[in-house]
Order: sequence, then C-alpha cells, then structure tokens
Amino acid sequence: MNKNPTRQTPMRMIQYAYVFGFLFLMAFVKPAPKMPYKKAGLTEQEAALHLLNRFTFGPKPGQVEEVVKQGLENWFLAQLQPAPDNEVVRNRLGGFQALNMPTDSIVNTYLQPAQLIRLAIAKGYIDKDSVDKTDKPAYRDAIKKMQSEYGYRPLQELQRELINQKVIRAVYSDAQLQEVLTDFWFNHFNVSLTKNQVQQLVLPYERDAIRPNVLNNFSSLLFATAKHPAMLLYLDNALSISNENEYAKRQLKGAQRLLDLNAAKKMVAAANISDDSLQKMDAMESQMTTQIKRRKSQGLNENYAREVMELHTLGVNGGYTQSDVTELARALTGWGVKPMYEEGPLAKRFSIISPAQLLRRGLVVEDYFLYSGEKHDETEKIILGKKFAANGGYKEGTEALSMLATHPSTAHFIARKLAAKFISDEPPTAVVEEMAKTFLASNGDIKEVLLTMVMHPDFWAKAKEKEKIKSPFELAVSAIRATGTEVVAPYQVFTWSEKMGQKFYFYQAPTGFPDRASFWINTGSLLNRMNFGMAIAAQKIPGFKTNLLALNQNHEPESVEDALQTYTKLLLPVSDQKENSERIMSIVRAQNIDQKIASATKDTGGMQDMQKESMTQTNNTPLKSMAQVVGVIIGSPAFQRK
Amino acid sequence: MANRRAFMKSGALALFATGISGLPRFITEAAAGTQMLPLYKKNKTLVCIFQRGAMDGLMAVTPFADPALQLARPGLFMSPTAGEGGSFNLDDRFAMHPSLKSLFPYFNSKNLAVVHGVGSPNTTRSHFDAQDYMESGTPFAKGTASGWLNRAVGLLGHAPTPFSAVSVTSSLPRSLYGDADAIAINNLQDFSIQLKGNPMAAGKAASSFEQLYDQTANELLNKTGKESFEALKILKSNNIKNYQPANGAVYPNSALGNSLKQIATLIKMDVGLEVGFAESGGWDTHFNQGTTNGIFARNLKDFSDSIAAFWQDLGARQSEVTLMTMTEFGRTVAQNGTGGTDHGRASCLFVLGNDVAGGKVYSNMGSLTKNNLEDGRDLPVTTDFRAVFSAVAENHLQLKTNGNLFPDWSGASLKMML
Repeated sequence: MNKNPTRQTPMRMIQYAYVFGFLFLMAFVKPAPKMPYKKAGLTEQEAALHLLNRFTFGPKPGQVEEVVKQGLENWFLAQLQPAPDNEVVRNRLGGFQALNMPTDSIVNTYLQPAQLIRLAIAKGYIDKDSVDKTDKPAYRDAIKKMQSEYGYRPLQELQRELINQKVIRAVYSDAQLQEVLTDFWFNHFNVSLTKNQVQQLVLPYERDAIRPNVLNNFSSLLFATAKHPAMLLYLDNALSISNENEYAKRQLKGAQRLLDLNAAKKMVAAANISDDSLQKMDAMESQMTTQIKRRKSQGLNENYAREVMELHTLGVNGGYTQSDVTELARALTGWGVKPMYEEGPLAKRFSIISPAQLLRRGLVVEDYFLYSGEKHDETEKIILGKKFAANGGYKEGTEALSMLATHPSTAHFIARKLAAKFISDEPPTAVVEEMAKTFLASNGDIKEVLLTMVMHPDFWAKAKEKEKIKSPFELAVSAIRATGTEVVAPYQVFTWSEKMGQKFYFYQAPTGFPDRASFWINTGSLLNRMNFGMAIAAQKIPGFKTNLLALNQNHEPESVEDALQTYTKLLLPVSDQKENSERIMSIVRAQNIDQKIASATKDTGGMQDMQKESMTQTNNTPLKSMAQVVGVIIGSPAFQRK
Repeated sequence: MANRRAFMKSGALALFATGISGLPRFITEAAAGTQMLPLYKKNKTLVCIFQRGAMDGLMAVTPFADPALQLARPGLFMSPTAGEGGSFNLDDRFAMHPSLKSLFPYFNSKNLAVVHGVGSPNTTRSHFDAQDYMESGTPFAKGTASGWLNRAVGLLGHAPTPFSAVSVTSSLPRSLYGDADAIAINNLQDFSIQLKGNPMAAGKAASSFEQLYDQTANELLNKTGKESFEALKILKSNNIKNYQPANGAVYPNSALGNSLKQIATLIKMDVGLEVGFAESGGWDTHFNQGTTNGIFARNLKDFSDSIAAFWQDLGARQSEVTLMTMTEFGRTVAQNGTGGTDHGRASCLFVLGNDVAGGKVYSNMGSLTKNNLEDGRDLPVTTDFRAVFSAVAENHLQLKTNGNLFPDWSGASLKMML
C-alpha cells in the first residue's frame, strides 16, 4: 500500500489544509475560540482556576466547576460584557447616599474642614477670634449644629462610602473583571485622597471616569480622566494659565488703561478732590493691580502634561522630550474645573454668566469640565513632531490627547502593563508584542487586547507556578470569597489592607502602587498577612461572619488531618493541594508530638507555655482547630500567590 | 538590651526562654554557625522628622532684630528681651521660641544647628504639592517614583536589612517610596504574630507559619519570611513592651514622643536601623497662633521635648545618630486677620548630631521689608532644601551619591557638617 508514499503526500496535505482551514475558520467565525491551555499542560480545571485567579478577586467555593461547566471561553467572553449589579450588590449599596449624588451635590454636601470653619464664621456659628484647633467640645458642637441645620455631611462619610463600595463590589459583584480592571485603571490613572483639593472628587472619579470605561477604548479612559475635576486638580492642570490670548491681553490692557487713567485723574485733581472719591480711586487702583498681578504671576504648570505622557500613555521611554512636555502643557492651558462650591465666590460669579458671554469668552462646559479660552495659549505648538497652528483653542488639546492615545509607544506601554498585571511581574515579550499589535489595530480596544492575551500561549505557560503575589486588598477579598465570609463591615478590609501595606485611595504619587511582588512583601506586611489569616478564620474581625462548618456543608471534620485536607481543598482548589496539605500536615503532626513531649515533662522549668497549650488542646472544640487550620492556610505562602 | 549578636549566640536557649516552641532549621543552623546570616551591618542612623502643615519658621526661630518683622506681625512678635519665659537669644539676630527650651542647651553645646530661609525652588503653596516635592526630592517632577530617603537607603553601598529604613507611621511616607526595602510600623508591639484574645493559638500558628515560609519555593516569600521571624524574635526577646528610656529621659506622651521612643528602641537593639522617619502634625496655624502660649507654643514644646528626650535616651549612642527636621514651606511674614499666618515660602529646620557644626544659625536671610519679600509677602527661599538634605545625608550616612540622591539638581551642599 505504501509503495509510493511521496505520491500520497500532496493528497494528505490537501486534507490537512482542509482540516486546518476549517479549524482556522472556526476560530474566527465561532464566538468562542479555544484558549491554548492544553499545550501548557493544564487540565480544564487548572485553566479555569487560572482564569479565576487572574480575572476575579479569587474563586468562590465551587466556582472552578461552574466555569468549567459554562465553558472557559464563554465565561471569559461574558466577563468582557459586564453584567449590571446583581441583587446583593444593589441591596448592599442601596443606602449609600453619595454614590447616587451628582458631583456638584457631593461638593456642596461633604464640605472640607477649612470650608466648614470659614462658613461657620460667616454664618455666625463660631466667633473668628475663638477659632482654635484644639478640639474644644463647644467649638465642635457649634460646627455640628451648623452641619445639621444646613444638611452638610461629614467628609469621612464620603470616604467611607468610597471605600465600602469598592469592597462590596469586589466581594459580591458578578462583574468581577470589571472590578479587577477598575482597581487596575484607577491605579494607572491614580489620584489620591491625601490631596485635600481632590478629597470630594475621588468617589465621582472612580464612578464616572474609571468604572464605566474599563472595558472600552483606551482613549475613552484617557479623555474621561483628563477632563475629570479630580485629575485636573490632582495634577494641577486647572492651575495652568497663559496670557497668550486675546481675552487676557484685552483684560490686561484694560486694567492697565484704567490704572493709568486713575493716576492721571489723581494728578490733575490732586488739590480739590473729595476724600470719598479719592478712596474710590484707591480701591480701583488696588483692584486693578491685584488683577494684573494675578494674571501675570500665574503661569504654565507642566505636571499633568508630563505625567500623561510618562505614566498614562507613552511611558518614560516612549520617545518624548522636555520640549514635548512644555508644548503639550501649553496646548492644555485653559483645561480646568467648573466652579461648583456654591458658598464660594467663583460659583456665584460663574452662575450669572450668560450663554452669549460664555461664547464670547471662549468658555466650553462639559459636565464639570470647563475650558477657558481666556487662559489658553493661542500661539503655535509642535508636539511629537506634529504642528498645531495658532488659535487652535480647545480642540488642539483633544487632538493632542487623541494622538497620545493611539501612539505606538502607548500601545506597547499599556500592553506591557496589562501583561504585568495579568501574567507576571516580568511578562514575556512575545505576548506583549501581540497585545500591542492588537491595541494598534483595534484603536485601543481593551477587550480585544485582553482577548489577544488569553489566546496567547504565554498567558498559560507558567500558570501552575502562580507567579503573581496578591496585593493586600486582593488577599483580603480572596480570603473572604474563598471562605464565604459575610461582610457586614466592609471597612475592615481597608483597615487590614493598610496594615498589610496598601492604604488604597491614599497612594500619594501619580505612579500608583507599584504592581510587583517585592513592593507588597516585606517583613512588616508579611506578618500582618498571617495575622489576617488567623483573625478572619477565628472570627476575630468585627463585622465579618465566617461559618467554616457551613463552608464544608456542615460536616464536622473528624480530625485535624481531616480538617486540613478538607479546607486545603476548599481554599486552594485544584492545584498543588496535595503538596500544600502534606506540608501543613507534617507541621501539625510535629506540633502534636511537641505537645506530647511537653505534657510528659510537665514539671520541667520554662515549659509552662507548652503546658498551657496542650491543656487548651484537650479542651479545643473542633471549631477552634478548624479555625486554626484555616488561619494557617490563609496565611501560608500558597495563599499569597495566585 | 539584648541585641542581635547576643541573641544569635544564645541560640536555642533564648528560644525557649522567650516562649517560642519548636526549633526552626535556619535558627539552629545559624546558631551552629553553619549558615550564619550576614550580620546587620550598620554605620550610622539618620532620623528625619517631617513637620506636616508648614511650620512658621519666623516664630520658631525669630529674626527679632529686624524691626520690619515687628511691624508686619505686631500680635505675633516675640523677642528675648521679654523677660521671664522669653525667647533665647542665639546670636543677637535670631532667638529661639521659649518652647524650644529643652533644645536650647544643644545649641549651646554646638550639637544643634538651625538653617533658616530653607525651602523649595518650586513656589507652590499647596501643602500636598510642597510635601510631595520635598519628599520625592524633585521639586518639578511629580512622577518621580521614589522618595529621597529611599534613594539614600539604596546608596548606602550595602544590601539593606529588614530594619534599614523604618517609618513609625501607619503607612509608608512618600519619602520612603521606592525600590529599597522600607517598612512602616505604627507600633513595634504590633510586629508579631498575634490573635486577639487567643495568644496560645497565635504562638502555635507562628511556628506553623515559620516552617511553611521556610519551606516555600518562592524565593521572595522564603527570604522575607525568614527575616520576619528573625526580626520578630529579636523584638520579642527585648521586651519592648516595657522599654525603659535611659538617662532619665522622659518622652512626652504624644504621637511624636512615641515615635521617637520607638526609633530609639530600634537603634539600641542594633537591628540595623539606618534611616528612621517620624511625623509631627498641627503646624497649619491660620487661626490664633498665639505667642508664648497657644497652639503654636504647645506644639513646638512637644516637638522640642520629644527630640530632647530622644537625644537624652540615646546617651552614648548619640555619636551614631543625626536628626534632621523638615517642613514643606513657611508662613507669611505678616499676620493675617484671624491671629494666624497663611501659607508662605521659606521656613527653618533643625539638625542635631555630634557631627553637625552646630551652635550656629545658617542663614542668608535679608531684611524683611516688603520689597525684599517674595511676592511682597513671604520670606524668600535662600537655601534650597536639597543643599541641607544632601549635606546631612551624604556626610552622616557616607553616601556616594554621584548626583543620584537628588536628580535634576546640581547645587552645592551646605557646609554645615564637621
């Protein structure tokens, strides 16, 4: 039959071509192409676990099986189209006041301490001479009285809602990828509660600029953040001002003319002028001088222009120069915030500007973003080699940002950062290149970039090694999800995250938290990870309800070994469990031996601790030893990784 | 106090004495000398205190001889001629606020120097921005990922140890952001394996954890785990709960006093502390600042007494330590309408140490008449903060910086160290 194998080969090849062609077509026509995990030596369960580890805040009990049942590809595609809040999330967030308030209401409800003091003085609640920051009860009461009479709320309440909603969504939301990405993109476009000026704006920033855009085009994220008051104030673009425009020149000239006129009048009428009109002239003089001085003293602020290139888009080696920074800063002059605080002078002045005046003064309002032509630099600019002709106004800023959003350096920078988040701290270059290509081809479609990543072998190659270390927030939430803990007091997650080294929403620098293991793991934080494990398992965190028995379908483990095996399986599903439980087991056994020795040598000095320990051991309820086992698992090295 | 060396020598015995059951392999090996971990190398310790809120340098160390100052702030002006409880004349030009009484002797003994007119070339008067710039050490770049003290740790010329850089704060300050290991500990007593209401369980879990981390294949977790448990044992064996300050030092019962006490504890335990960081708040005195009494005076007294107690407590160890204070900017020369001062430009700072050329006010300050002031209102910055920070850090910690401590800055260090 096989006398002439060479002759058969073309036939075979054609057959192969058909088969491959069919598979090829399937891969693109069918909604769910197969993820290449088998080649990496992973079972379907292991692959499902990897997906859950990477794209959720940790698997819930039984979730690996659910994903397998749904189909890994289907599950991932569904995550790319985030579902609306489920009932649990809706109920939990139902009572949150600020979460449903428009930004300007928030600004006028949750006043800053300094605003409260000034207002309390202005409204006569406190005497300006008695102002003393020493927390006198009477003084605090007067401020509280004003707050309740005017419906102001404490700023801490706003921050508490911000923190709690993040925790609740991370724990309970079904749109897990959306939440993971909200965490990621917030950190990428970081703003910080440490800056007073943005304290009221961080909640609306995440709610309006970040979360709705995390799976959109990159440029929608860039624009939403660029125009948000939180970013405009955090990186100071709202302070960046130029006099290189007609309005400013007119204003300066006008002020100067008035000054000159005033001076001339004074000279002429020096002898027979009334005190009254002299006073008026002096007032005018000082007003004009201040106006001119203010105009002239404020100037270009490059902070946002620099960071948007270095941190948000091109990356530090993205091929821009200091001159590009300055030119972009000039293009973005006038990008600022609409005055919102009703008790402040600016909002009052702004509210009476007519539409015609808005137009004449070159003002553009979009939600709470305000472009002021009167602060814009209208001279020519060259940014990254592209010329922007004079008098480009508002649109040259948007053109420049669009250019950054789709720049090849941006594609590469963002691709690498996503790969570092979802694959490993030092991601393989092959997958990064592919993702960057997709970024460019899809106009920065984040969904497409993520799809490219999970369809690439590099995403799966080292899944078993669990290369990523969980951030403190991820550790806390994954432990909650794995143990089915009911979170009555979400703020505890913040308290513990801070102890473990991640005071989220308070990272001061625009870089955001460094996303690498060596940043999260240090001597101080590591012990607190262990302490957290023990505390959550032993029900020592107020407002956390952990039911370890229920987690095991109300089966009481028969022995410590049994508890170990059971809970290792539950908390570290699928992978490595044999190795893990054997390790922990050997330790528990060794401890039992210790205790036997201890009780045998009761009257030996210096052994009192052990003695006590062995006594409590005999009184130990199974629940206590379960808690101990679970605590050790959560604090163990295996549970820190994902 | 038992330091690390003593701890290693006593080996197994110490473990039982301190109530930790089980003998982890690495400790037995270390005790036997087969696998000795490198001893914590340490030369000197630099302690920094950030006074958040912008201290009024013109009130802390007053140029009392300048009549323009009295004119600008009649309600806040103080001079050494005020008699009992008056300020301390330093050089007939400057005087220390009476609240600095406990620090004044160190000025006389030439261990304490004052640098006046210090600030940033960036004119921002925002607390946030100014602190950010001062802590990153790059006054015109927000995106600098690292803090200047973290870079200092990186320039020490040897690998940092778990306690090389410690901030006694609840979270890491901007100054210590960066690649070199640095930790934030609010309270040394929290540096332990603990479970509320069940210390037994904690003790048991601790030995389980120790072995698990000892066995993990993940290098980072393995190494950090070992260091954590070792550090924990050193702290435990030192009974830090009942720490007794030496030489009759009494720390004020305040946040700063507490922080400095813990830094002194770490120094004396020889755990390798090279950079310590603490904070002091309440300097944003817009309202009724007061003079010899009031908010400012109380705050400054706490500041002074905390530092003096720390210095006294160090005793013979003083020669290893230099302490430097800093604040983001100063306050307006003139008083405002509410008996306080508003955000200004330059302030002053203090440097205390045996290697400091002290007993002197370093200043290029001119007259405070209006036309000499920045924007007609503020004390101009005549000394870049980096000139002081680099002088102190480079000399005291013997850094070879090659311009890496303060990138973008080519100025000269202030000659104020011996």
